[in-house]
Amino acid sequence: MNLHYGDPQIAIGVTFAVLALLLACAFVVIAAQAGTEVSQERVHQVGYWLRKRWLALLLVVGMVVVGISFFDLPYATGGTTGRTVVKVTGGQFFWALQPDRVPAGTHVRFDVSSVDVNHGFGLYDPHGHLIGSVQAMPGYHNELDLTLKSAGIYEIRCFEFCGLHHSTMDGQFTVTKS
Amino acid sequence: MSAVSPPAPPTVLHAQATEFTTPMRAVERRIGLLFAGTGIGLVVGMGVLGLIMRLTQATVIGLSPAWFYRVLTLHGVGMITGALLAMMGALWYVLNTTVPLRPGRMLAAYCLVGAGAVAVLVATMVGGFGASWTFLPPLPFYPAGQWPVWSESVFFIGNLLVGTGFSVFCVDVLEQTTTRYGGLTRTLGWQYLRGREQDAPPPQVIAATVVAIDGLLAGAVGMAVVTGLLGRTYDHSVGIDALVTKNLVYFFGHSIANLAIYLGAAVVYVIIPRYAGRPYHTSKVFVAGWAGSLIFIVTAYSHHLYMDFVQPSWAQVISEATSYGALIPVAVITIYSMTMLVWGSRYRWTLASTLFYVGLSGWAIGGVGAVIDSLIPFNFRLHNTVWVVAHFHTYELLTVVVWILAFLAHVIERDAGRTASRAARAWIVGLILVGGYGFTGTWFVAGALGIPRRYAIQPAGTIGYSVVGASFALLLALGFLLYFIQLAPLARTAWNRRHFALVDHTDGWTGRHYEARVPRAEVDAAIADAPELPRRGLPLETRAQFGFAVAACVVGLAAFFPQVVDASEVSDRYHHLDHAGHFFFGAILGLLLASLPTISRRLGDRRSLGLAAALLAPMAMMLMMVPRIYEPLETNPFHHALFHVAMAAFGFVTGVGVTRLGLVTGRVMFILAVGMPLMFAAAFK
Repeated sequence: MNLHYGDPQIAIGVTFAVLALLLACAFVVIAAQAGTEVSQERVHQVGYWLRKRWLALLLVVGMVVVGISFFDLPYATGGTTGRTVVKVTGGQFFWALQPDRVPAGTHVRFDVSSVDVNHGFGLYDPHGHLIGSVQAMPGYHNELDLTLKSAGIYEIRCFEFCGLHHSTMDGQFTVTKS
Repeated sequence: MSAVSPPAPPTVLHAQATEFTTPMRAVERRIGLLFAGTGIGLVVGMGVLGLIMRLTQATVIGLSPAWFYRVLTLHGVGMITGALLAMMGALWYVLNTTVPLRPGRMLAAYCLVGAGAVAVLVATMVGGFGASWTFLPPLPFYPAGQWPVWSESVFFIGNLLVGTGFSVFCVDVLEQTTTRYGGLTRTLGWQYLRGREQDAPPPQVIAATVVAIDGLLAGAVGMAVVTGLLGRTYDHSVGIDALVTKNLVYFFGHSIANLAIYLGAAVVYVIIPRYAGRPYHTSKVFVAGWAGSLIFIVTAYSHHLYMDFVQPSWAQVISEATSYGALIPVAVITIYSMTMLVWGSRYRWTLASTLFYVGLSGWAIGGVGAVIDSLIPFNFRLHNTVWVVAHFHTYELLTVVVWILAFLAHVIERDAGRTASRAARAWIVGLILVGGYGFTGTWFVAGALGIPRRYAIQPAGTIGYSVVGASFALLLALGFLLYFIQLAPLARTAWNRRHFALVDHTDGWTGRHYEARVPRAEVDAAIADAPELPRRGLPLETRAQFGFAVAACVVGLAAFFPQVVDASEVSDRYHHLDHAGHFFFGAILGLLLASLPTISRRLGDRRSLGLAAALLAPMAMMLMMVPRIYEPLETNPFHHALFHVAMAAFGFVTGVGVTRLGLVTGRVMFILAVGMPLMFAAAFK
C-alpha cells in the first residue's frame, strides 16, 4: 500500500510551514537590523513593550489550543457496550488480531497489548492515510476507540522500535462492506 | 631586543565588549577546548553514522538491519554524549570566571563520560547491541539473536558512567554556585524576585544552577533504572514493569538530551553580548522564566508516553500543559532577549557570532515542530513518525551542534584575533542552513505522510524522501567540512599568538631592525584546582531539623519490624520497598550523626569522598537488590537480617557522604539517593 497525506496531517504540515517561515523571516529582519545602531534605551523601550505582548499572545494561544485539544483526546472512555472489541497482540515480529475483520461503520475498541517488548500499533486506512497509533506494551492493555467507515484493507505497521525486523513488522485488518 | 609585544586585544569582539568581558585564562581555554574538541569529535563521528543510516534508507548503500540498529544505537547515545560533553566545557568556560569551579572534578567527569562512551562503542560495535538509545525495557533482553548478555551489561555500564560523569559535573556546579551566592533561593534569584534583595546572580549562574538540579534529578532516575536493568542481566528473574521503566528511561534520556540545549542557553547569555557590545543582566522576568524551566525541563519527557493510554489521564493532561509551558521561557526569555540584544547593536559578525545567531533560529523553528507534536490529538497522528526525528534534529543539530561549533570558533577566533573571510562565512552558514533545514525539512514532510521512525527499510514508495534527505545531509556535511578548513589556519594563528611573541630585533652585523618570533612566557596559570570556597553549612543545622531527622529515623526503623518484613514478602515490589526502607533508615541515621558539629569536624572536609559515597553506595545497594542475591539468604533468619543491615549500611554511608557536600547539595543528593531505591522498587517487580 502506498502512503498518502491525510487531511489532518496536511493541516498540521501547512501550519508548521507557515509558522517556521514567519520565524525565519523574523530572524532575517533582525539580522539585517543588527548592522545599524539603535540606542539601547530605545531598544529596551520598544523591546520590553513588545515582549509583554509576545508573552500575552503565547499564553492566550496556549490556553486556547491546549484547552481545545483536551476535547479531542484519543483515549478510550466508558464501557464496551455498542462496540466490537478487537484484541490486538503484538510480538516479535507479528500482529495478531481477533477478530481480524468487522463490517464498515462498526464502533471498534482495539484492546492492544504485547507478549514480549514494546510495539506500536499504527493503523493506515485503505487509502494509505495514517489514522493514528497506540502503544502495545507487555503487561498492559491500551484501549483505542475508532469507528471504521471505509471498507477495505487497513494496514498495520509497528510504531515502536522492537528489534531486528521492526521495519517489516506489519499486519492487516479488514473492514467489509456493511 | 626590545620588550615583548602586548597580548592581542579582543579584536573579534564588539568594541564595547571589553567593558564587561573578562580575559580568557589558560584554565578556561584548556577545559573548554578539551571538552569541545572531544565532544565535536564524537558529534562528527556520530554524524557520519547518521549519514550512513540515511543513505541506507535511500538504498544507496546496503547496510543490513542488524548493523543499521547497532549504528542507530551508537548514533543516539554517542550524539547525546558528544553534545553534552562539549556543552559542559562551554558552560565551564563561561561560568568559571564568575564562580570558581574545580578542574579536578571536571576532569573526573570527563574521564567518566569518556569511559561511558567507549563502553557503549564496545557494546554496539563489538557486542552487536542494538536496542536503540532509548532501550525501552524489556527490549534489551529480547535480542532476537543479535547480541549476547555481556553486551547488555557493557551498554548499561556505559550509560551509568555517562550519567555519573554528568552528575559529578552537576554536583560541582550546584555546590559552587550555591556556596558563592549563599543558598539555593538566592542563587536562583528567588530572593530578588520577591523583592528581598536588590541584586541577583548573573544569568549564566541561574541557568547553570537550574541545569545542575535537573541534571542531578535526571542522573538519579537514570541510575535507578539502569542499575536495575544491569541487575536484570545477571538475574533473569527480575520482573520489569514496562510502563514505569518507560517513564524512568524517558525521564533520564529525554532530560539529558534536553539539558544540552539549556547548557547552551547559559553559554549564549555570556557570549552573544560580547558581539552585541551590550551586557545581558538578570531581570525578574528572567528569574521567573528559569523557575518555570526548572519544572518544565523535567516534566517535558512525559509527552513520549502520550500513546501509552494506560498512563493516567491526569498525567497526560499535565504533560501536555507543561510541554507547552516549556515553550514560554524559551521563546520569551532566551530567544527573544537574545534577538533583542542583537537588534540595532552593530553586531560584530564573525564565524562564531553568526553561528550563535543561527543556533537561535534552530531552537525557535524546531520548537514549533515540537509544540505541534506535543498536542495530544496531533501526536496521535505524528507519534513515532519521522516528524519527531525532524523536530529534535532541528534543535539538536541546528542549535546544539551549531552552538558547539560556534563555541569552538569563539575560543579560537579570540586567540587568533581575527575571523574567517566574509565569503567563507557566507558559504559555511549558507551550506549549514540549506543542508540542515533541507535535511530536517524532508523528515517533517515524510512525518506528515506517516512514515514511522527507526525503519532500516523504508515503506514502499517512500525511498525518495530518504534520497532527498541524504542529499541535503551531504550539503550539511560540506558546510561542516568547510568550517573545519576555515578554522584550521585560525587555530594555527591562535596557537602562534599564544606561544610566540614578535619582538624587535637588531642584527648585530648589519644593524638592521626586524621582527623576530620568540617563545612567549606562559602568562596564564597552569591548570590547578580553583581556591575552595568555604563550605556553607551542613544539611541539618537547626534543632527542628535534627528533631525532624530523629522522627524520620524512628519511622524508618519500622522497615525492620518482623511484621513489616513478613508483610513485604507478598510481592517482589513490596520486598524491594522494604529494602528501600532499610536504606532510608541508614541514610537518615548517617545524615543525622554526620551533621552533628563534633562528628562533622572529625570527618573533615572530604568533599570528593563524600560525593563518591553519595553516588556509589545507592548504586551498590540497588545492584544487590536482585532475587538471585537475597533469596538464598532468606532461608536463614540471621543471614536475612544481616542482608537488611547491609542495606541500611549502604544508606548510612550515603547519609554520611552527603553531609560533606554542604547544605544545599547535601540535601539535594540525600533526597535523590533515598529516591533511587523507591524508583527501583516501583520499576522492578
